[in-house]
Parts: sequence; C-alpha cells; structure tokens
Amino acid sequence: MGYPYSHDQEVPIISKYLGDPEARTLEGWKARGGYQALEKALEISPEDVIEIVKDSGLRGRGGAGFPTGLKWSFMPKDKSRPHYLLCNADESEPGTFKDRELIRWVPHLLIEGCLIGAYAIGADHVYIYCRGEFFEATQVLARAVEDAYSAGFIGNNVMGSGKNIDLTVHVGAGAYICGEETGLMNSLEGRRGEPRVKPPFPAAVGAFGMPTTINNVETLCAVPPIVKNGGEWYRQWGTEKSPGTKLFCVSGHVNKPGNYELPLGFPLHKLIYEIAGGIPGDRSLKAVIPGGSSVPILSAQECENCELSYEGVEEAGSMLGCASVIVMDESTDIVHQVMRMAAFYAHESCGQCTPCREGTSWVTQILKRIEDGRGTEEDLTTLIDLTDQMVGTTICVLSDSVAAPVQSSIVKFKDEYVAMVRRGEKLGIT
Amino acid sequence: MSKIPFKNDGWSGNTGEYDLTEEQVRGIDFVGERPIGGGHPSVSPSYPYMLEDKNPDASLFEGPYKERFEKILTRYPDKQAALIPALNLAQELRGYISPVTMDEIANLIGLSPAYVRSVSTFYTMYNKQPVGKYLIQVCTNISCNLCGGEDVLDAFLKYTNAELGEISNDGIFTTIEAECLAGCGFPTCVQINSQYFENVTINEVPKIVDYLKSIHEKSSMSQEEEG
Ligand SMILES: Cc1cc2nc3c(=O)[nH]c(=O)nc-3n(C[C@H](O)[C@H](O)[C@H](O)COP(=O)(O)O)c2cc1C
Ligand code: SF4
Ligand code: FES
Repeated sequence: MGYPYSHDQEVPIISKYLGDPEARTLEGWKARGGYQALEKALEISPEDVIEIVKDSGLRGRGGAGFPTGLKWSFMPKDKSRPHYLLCNADESEPGTFKDRELIRWVPHLLIEGCLIGAYAIGADHVYIYCRGEFFEATQVLARAVEDAYSAGFIGNNVMGSGKNIDLTVHVGAGAYICGEETGLMNSLEGRRGEPRVKPPFPAAVGAFGMPTTINNVETLCAVPPIVKNGGEWYRQWGTEKSPGTKLFCVSGHVNKPGNYELPLGFPLHKLIYEIAGGIPGDRSLKAVIPGGSSVPILSAQECENCELSYEGVEEAGSMLGCASVIVMDESTDIVHQVMRMAAFYAHESCGQCTPCREGTSWVTQILKRIEDGRGTEEDLTTLIDLTDQMVGTTICVLSDSVAAPVQSSIVKFKDEYVAMVRRGEKLGIT
Repeated sequence: MSKIPFKNDGWSGNTGEYDLTEEQVRGIDFVGERPIGGGHPSVSPSYPYMLEDKNPDASLFEGPYKERFEKILTRYPDKQAALIPALNLAQELRGYISPVTMDEIANLIGLSPAYVRSVSTFYTMYNKQPVGKYLIQVCTNISCNLCGGEDVLDAFLKYTNAELGEISNDGIFTTIEAECLAGCGFPTCVQINSQYFENVTINEVPKIVDYLKSIHEKSSMSQEEEG
C-alpha cells in the first residue's frame, strides 16, 4: 500500500506496511512474518542466496538498474580480508522520496535485507549511509537497529548461525554527490565525497580499501520477500527484462502525489490518471520526467504509450532511473524548471572534472540569461554544444545528468525557449 | 520541538487515507527518549538528540558527548572515518562549525587542520557561521517548485523579516533555500532544525512562524525563572 494514498491496482510487497506504526516495532514486525527470510537464508549457503536473487531478476533500485544477484556474485570468495556491504540511503535525487518512507515505516525490513545481503556476500559489517537531513527517519532506524541487536538478529552469532554481522547507522552531512557509490565510500571514510575513478571497482577495492558491495535501500528491502518466496515468485510481476514490483514516487501536478508500488511495465498514462488521481483542475499534461531529475524529459505525446519498465522508458526516449515520476501540467514554465535543475547540479558538482564544474555553472548562467529575456537563439545552439561535451567526459555521470534535461527540453520545447528569447528582443533588452 | 499543536491541511499524517497522529507518523512514541550518550554503539554516529539551545563555547567532548564520541571510534576500521560523525556532534552542540572547531576536531582525530577544513567545507549541512535558533530550509527544487516552493520561501523571508541566509533581527530565524529533501510527494517540504514540515503552503507560513516564536518565548521565560 502506498503512502499517503493507496490504490487497489497496487501490488504491495515492500510497501505493505507503510502507514502501519506497529510494523516498526520488533514484535510487530515478527508478527507480520519478519525475520523469517533471514532465518531461511542462514539455513542455505550464501551461493544459494545469490542464486535466488539472480533468479528473481531483481535490478538495483538506486538508478542504474544493475542486476543485484550478479553484482553480489562479483565479490571475492577469499575471506582473508574484511568485506563490507553499504546501504545507500543518501536519497537526494530530486523527485525521489521512497527510501525515506521505507526507513521510517519498515526499518526492520531494511535491516533484514541488509543482513541477508551481508550473509550472501560474506560481509562482516554493514554501513547504512543515511543522508544527514533524515533526522527523524534515522532515529526510527536507530531504535530498530538497537532492538534487532538485543534480539540477536545482528551482532555475534546471528540467529545462532555462527555468523557475525555488525551493522552501523552512519549519517552524512548534506551533499548529493555522496549518493554516487564511490563518493559515498569516500564520505564514509571521512573524506570529501568525491567520486573515484573506476576501475578498480568496489568489489575489488571499495570502502576502506576492501571488497565492497553497495545497494540502494529499496533494492535491499526487496530481498527478504524474494528469499522467502523464491525467484520465480517475484517474476510473476513485471516484464522479462524488468521483473518484479517497484515503488513509483509520483510528484508535481497530480491530485494524489505519493509512493505507489506497481508491477514494472505499468503504463505511465494510467499511473498519472488512475493511480495518482489525475491532474488538478483538469489541466492538460505538458511533460513528465519519468526517473528523477537526471533523465530526459518526455513530452505529453511520448507519455501516451510509455510503459514503465527499464526497457520501456528507454524506448520512449528517457530512462526509468529511480522511477521518480515528476508530472508537469500546461501551466509549467519549462525553461524555469530546467534552469532550476541545472542550478541544482551546479551546486552539487564536486568540482573534480572541468567539463562538469565549468559546464554546470555555464549552463545555469545561460539559462538564467534566457529567462531574464537577454538570451539569443544562438544560446540554444551553445547549450546543445556545451552539454554535448559534458557527456561521457567525466569521472561520474552527474555531468551527463545535466545534459539530459537541457538537451531534451530544447529539442521538445524549443518553442518556449524561442518565445522567451523573442520576448526579450521585443522588449529591446538584447 | 517535537509536538506541533496544529496540523496543516496537507500534513502527511492527515492527508490521504491514514488517520494517524503526528506522533505515529514521525515515530516519536516508538523512538522514545534517546539517550544522550548515544545508546548502542551501532547507532552512536546517528543523531540521538537535537538540542534546542546551542552553546558555541561547549567543550569537545565532555560527559555523555565524550561517551558518544568514544563509541563512534569503535565503529570503523580507522580513526579518520569518525571525522564526519564528530563534526555532526560538534555542530549539534555548538550550532555551527567555526575554523576553531575544525582545528579542535583535527586535533582530536589526528588529522591536519587544513584537511579537516577541506572536508568540512565540502558538506552543505555544516553552518560555517552562526544561524538563528530556528534554521528554516525551504526546498525549491523541481517537485516543490512546481507546487509553489519559491512562494513559500518568500513567505518565510517576509514573516521572519529577514534576508535570505541572514539571522532575523529578533535573532531567532535564519531562512535558506534547500535542495530536494526527499519529501517531494509532500510539497512544499520545509525542514526546520531537525523536523520536516510537509505540504506547506503560503497560508501556513505565518502559523508556523508564530508557533516557533511562541515556543521560543516559553523557553526563554523558563530560562529566566531558572536563572
Ligand atoms: C550523482 C549520483 C547520485 C546518486 N545518488 C544516489 C542516491 O541518492 N541513492 C542511491 O541509492 N543511489 C544513488 N546513485 C546510484 C549509486 O551510484 C549506485 O548505483 C546505487 O546505489 C547502487 O545500488 P543498486 O544497485 O541497489 O541500485 C547515484 C548515482 C550518481 C551518479
Ligand atoms: S562529473 Fe562532476 S560530480 Fe562527478 S566527479 Fe566529475 S566533477 Fe564531480
Ligand atoms: S523537490 Fe522538494 S523535497 Fe524533493
């Protein structure tokens, strides 16, 4: 069930207990079948756990959609050095608000997912890296972790299995880039959260120089139900390439914004008009960003037949990302919103790579100039050329994330840019 | 600042279909009174406590804070990883991170002062100078912006009578613009100190500001009585 609204077309697997305060407590969680999946996992071999997750086809919910079982299998089998599991709870992609809900409503589901993950990859210690702004959610998680320690689910000899798994709640200090996996590792180590050059990949050299796997909160929350019910069970929902269910964060111009858990492949149009209650005032749809602010904008027409699976959104010309569906109606000033997104990336660029550091702020300045009515049509070509040079030339993909909304909006909403430029010309500003 | 005597219309606890109290939504009852010494070491790097009144001269670290700092040191394979938790702890006590604080932390952890400065200035949550007793952070990123975030920001500036980022004349408010707070489904999302205010519209802004003023007055009155 979604929060704060639900819909009967939802398939509540991980969101079943959102809005149920009793599910937070250890007793309440156990009464809801909690920690049975962990018990089952500990009875089979780590390899078998990975096999189940591989069979399920679960893909990472942090944005990239990398198959989780495959990622886990990259961890070295040699246990002479410590291994780590990091849970990425830095949720800061504009439009995304699912991990905070999961942490504050079902903290034990996350803990259970972390423990199963740690067992599967042979990690001795799990760090849950929460973004610093999550004071409330972090306190809920902290209390749940303490309870799970005293009940013997975390710590020495987990559930009598002979395995020792520690878990620490770590709190960041505000920086979007710490959500990037290697930036998060640097931040955890007490450094600036600057992404690292890959290779080496985290499975070889990760946090504290040791083999590390990093997973998003939602990914780890999906693991206990999969382990409990099997990989095939999870595949009854979704598509061949995008199995299972996903939380869709719907925000912007809809009557019922919120999180909804739906099978992957769900039609975007239906999500907006049926599940999320349509657009206020019956205004018409102008555009949708389907996966958080880092992905290309879709025009209303492109939304018509768009199917919300990893491959479906790609076909429609964008990316599913973390399924953060930002809905914009006809009243939206596209240029202003794109400028606001560019300003975000300029603020959050860590500054290591020149195309990103310079590019993000130039793009923002040019967009501001256009908005102020001092732009020229040449500026639009400059924006395209500039953002072209920001793709694939940097350490991480934050740089590419600016290019996506800028280029797609100039292509799809050129009229609006041109109108803004002309308006300035008419007023004699340029 | 845990209990708000009113719910705004769009409060995440009473929108939608859930008939929950604010305490239930926030998990206040479940969390309970968290020990100032940090509780179990596994959660010592998280925030057990948010102090209403900061003391810029508080020492680093004494009593329960020392206990918490020492627990933090046990949670990582090396000492440097305690840097960000230690800075968080210092800000919780002092309200901001001054260059002097950075140097003290560098000393405590055994890092060079220059390095600690480069790390502290990387993170946006560290206030580099004093802020008002209530730090109001208004999200103006895309989802909130589509629903009026910029107007809410302006309203806070107007009702607290302050410039962006400056402390108001009465010394209790600082309003800043924030990036996405991961509450996009509850626009506009505003963080005041450790607490989220969700679905804030311009109509609620005066109510929120008055409420903060009233709890400030209450707390300063009780301080006078004690003093
Ligand atoms: C700039 C940037 C920011 C990111 N922010 C987040 C984030 O806030 N949360 C998250 O889970 N993943 C984020 N990611 C993705 C992570 O790098 C990583 O792919 C993910 O945590 C892996 O987990 P998964 O396989 O479970 O999806 C970000 C990536 C980039 C490039
Ligand atoms: S692309 Fe940008 S954010 Fe990423 S490492 Fe380079 S400068 Fe930093
Ligand atoms: S856009 Fe405002 S909280 Fe995400």
